[in-house]
Amino acid sequence: MNKVWILVKREYRAAVRTKGFIISLVMLPIFMGGGFAAFKIFEDKVDLTDRTVLVIDESGSVGQFLVDASKDRNANHITDAESGEKNQPAYYFELIEKEADFSNQKLQLSDRVRDKDIHAFVHIGANVFNPGADREASRIFYYAENSAMDRVKGWVSSNANSFIRQERVIALGIEQTEVENLFMWIDAEGMGLMKIDSKTGDVQDARRSSEVESFLVPYIMMLLIFMMIMMSAVPLLSAVMEEKGERIAEVLLGSVTPGQFMLGKVLGGLAVSLTTVSIYIAGGVFIVNKMDMGHMIPYDILPWFFLYLILAIIMFGSIMAALGSSCNDSKDAQNIQFPAMLPLLIPMFMLFPIIQNPLGSFATWVSLFPPFTPMLMLMRQATPVTLPMWQPIVGLIGVFLFTALSVWAGGRLFRSCIIMVGKRPKFGTMIKYIIKG
Amino acid sequence: MNVIELEKITKTYGTHKAVDDLSLHVPKGSIYGFIGPNGSGKTTTIRMIMNILYPDNGNIRLFGQELIGSRLDGVGYLPEERGLYKKMKVKELIKFHGELKGVKDLDQKADGWLKKFDLSKWADKKVETLSKGMSQKVQFIVTIIDEPDLIILDEPFSGLDPVNAEIIKEVILKLRDKGSTIIFSTHDMSVAEKMCDFIFMIYKGKKVLDGTLSSIQEKFGQDTLRVQTELGVSALEAINGIEKVNDFGQIQEVRMSPETNSQDVLMAIMEKTKVLKFELTSPSLNDIFIRIARPENNEDHE
Repeated sequence: MNKVWILVKREYRAAVRTKGFIISLVMLPIFMGGGFAAFKIFEDKVDLTDRTVLVIDESGSVGQFLVDASKDRNANHITDAESGEKNQPAYYFELIEKEADFSNQKLQLSDRVRDKDIHAFVHIGANVFNPGADREASRIFYYAENSAMDRVKGWVSSNANSFIRQERVIALGIEQTEVENLFMWIDAEGMGLMKIDSKTGDVQDARRSSEVESFLVPYIMMLLIFMMIMMSAVPLLSAVMEEKGERIAEVLLGSVTPGQFMLGKVLGGLAVSLTTVSIYIAGGVFIVNKMDMGHMIPYDILPWFFLYLILAIIMFGSIMAALGSSCNDSKDAQNIQFPAMLPLLIPMFMLFPIIQNPLGSFATWVSLFPPFTPMLMLMRQATPVTLPMWQPIVGLIGVFLFTALSVWAGGRLFRSCIIMVGKRPKFGTMIKYIIKG
Repeated sequence: MNVIELEKITKTYGTHKAVDDLSLHVPKGSIYGFIGPNGSGKTTTIRMIMNILYPDNGNIRLFGQELIGSRLDGVGYLPEERGLYKKMKVKELIKFHGELKGVKDLDQKADGWLKKFDLSKWADKKVETLSKGMSQKVQFIVTIIDEPDLIILDEPFSGLDPVNAEIIKEVILKLRDKGSTIIFSTHDMSVAEKMCDFIFMIYKGKKVLDGTLSSIQEKFGQDTLRVQTELGVSALEAINGIEKVNDFGQIQEVRMSPETNSQDVLMAIMEKTKVLKFELTSPSLNDIFIRIARPENNEDHE
């Protein structure tokens, strides 16, 4: 075991000293935290350039409403209440008459938009209060450089509709004071189930179950395991192939057994991934707490996460190292890498059906298939639903047994192949090596 | 006491018998030379001794113990094809291998060996910056860092210049004097003749020679003449009893056919030219090797 430890130390040092490791370690949190930071920075950096919008109104009153609403907005809603500083651009809406040659008018207005003379122009149809009569005449067109992403368009749409609905309701004879209640929309808020705190025995409040939480937390958990396997276990295939090709393997085999050699490489990879994942999780927890979303962190499944991660890396690492030992050049390694990665990739395609129905029989059975269990069972556990307790336990036992089988078979294949040169053994021959030893 | 005992070992790859019913006993404190043509089974035999390959049949004992799936400390192994971690620094690499072999005072020992092989100033350089010869020396240091009881060297001198080959020879002999047992394979017959206490030759997977150089030469008898004449190799043409002539330019090595009297050959040469040197001797190891490995040259032996 001492020799395995020496090999693990070497593998670990060799991996963490590389620029690639440092870059990947630093880059991911930067991407994770950086997006949030950039959002925070740019949230305050709103473009404060005032916008002038010309309105051609055929409805008779919507245009005027927009002019009045924009004046009210400019007076009351574009400065910070405490500091009094302007934090939003002012909108200046002006009514203009529709000309006889409407196409030419729109062309000229478009040129003014291009010349930055005005920000946009709006054409409000004549029948917006009564769309059933003439569909074509009941539309509102917003013309701008980038109208799809334009915030002013959203403001126009929301204010125009609010006014139009109000006018329609008043036309039906309902009192204006009732209109606000009439349009009050009440969402059904998703909640988790009530449970008893295992330490205090108190009934815990149901956790608010948002769509973000139902999707994002399981997704991140699964992605982390996937990334760690990709970072630590999959590269063992080419690493072992290279050490075999460069004859480092045979030199080492003078001092260690093939089993110790393989285990050293796999556990070295595991140590690297545990370092990485610990940093990521600590960083993630810090950032999420900073965002006041700490309640979303599923601390209760973190032990499961580490357990599955350790077993998955040993499982895939042994398989990859053994397959690497059967390759003689990078072409061999490329040919075998994709099929070897399938058990990792297939669960990625099952992501959405399982998140949508984590308690369904499809989700249950595929998550009990040992190579898929670390990713899929964990993902199900991370959703707000409560899994029957037997499922993670049976899943874990399955993963444990399959990992033991992978190490045993991988070790036998590794021992047979590590100094073998010539043509890569076929699948049947590999099975023979595993059985024969 | 025998350090290595091979009893009737066989190793087959597919239908090819790489090693066939091979037995060998290597006594403690000896230098045993493994010779044989390429592909004859030397490396397979060495790998089986190292327990990297398992024999299909037969037993292998090192220091009296049968080893299955384990490694004994105190065995140094230099494979035929060398490999070092290129990104590691030289001293760090030596210490890594030393640690695997359980060596104490590693720093001191690594420094000592680096100095001996004139590599001290490369200690903190990466292996990838070394020349081929320097890498060979580092590889050798890695093999003998723990001064093991048994040292197995597959082609230790290949690729080395005469100066470095000499340093390695000296170290090997010193280790033998300290009690280490050494096995090395080589294609350099003169090195084997000069250094080895015992010679073992394997051919097509079978043992064909095993013993001291003199006992092997004795088996072949005194059938070789070393001749130097004024006329050179042409003086030896069309003389009865000469089976093969090896021309070294100045000197010709002549193999006589059995039953030929060397005096008759001498007389025949003297009729043609002036003889400067004439010596009746045993065949060299090189000649013996060629006789065995190229059977069409001599069908009488083996």
